[in-house]
Amino acid sequence: MTPEQRDAAFAMAGQEMEYRVELFNKLVGACYEKCIDKKFKDGELNVGENSCVDRCAAKYWESVAIVGQMLGAQGNAPS
Amino acid sequence: MDPAMLDGFPEEDKAKMMGMIEAMQTRDSLKMYNNLVERCFSTCVQSFRRKTLEKDEERCVSKCCEKFLKHSARTSVRFAELNAQSMQQMGGPPQ
Repeated sequence: MTPEQRDAAFAMAGQEMEYRVELFNKLVGACYEKCIDKKFKDGELNVGENSCVDRCAAKYWESVAIVGQMLGAQGNAPS
Repeated sequence: MDPAMLDGFPEEDKAKMMGMIEAMQTRDSLKMYNNLVERCFSTCVQSFRRKTLEKDEERCVSKCCEKFLKHSARTSVRFAELNAQSMQQMGGPPQ
């Protein structure tokens, strides 16, 4: 691997990680808004909130895949 | 991030990668701190009759913080699972 190729590979890995972190943060934010009761009587997640969070994460993930496919079909997918 | 994923790379590259990850983690935890304060302040603090937090506001902020951290921890477990699943489907590196 030439130094240029290595730099490019690191840049890509960095972008990929940034994307993952951002994805995670958005997922946490979105499912917090959808699932968490904001009266804060208790600091624990109750049973309903727990299962909501699990389902929310799975559905968010499905949505990511759908949008990715549609963007990919249009030919402007983030490579 | 699992450091074992970097096995098989040259030491130099591994060190560079770990450096990048560390910088990202620091930046992210600072961002998270600010975001969490903003989130809990906005939901919990409504009145401005005194310059100190009301008792219930104070309690709300601390419960809000505790709850968000637990929510975030649970989500991160699910995130890791989903990530691993899609890696396998892509035929990516075995975890």
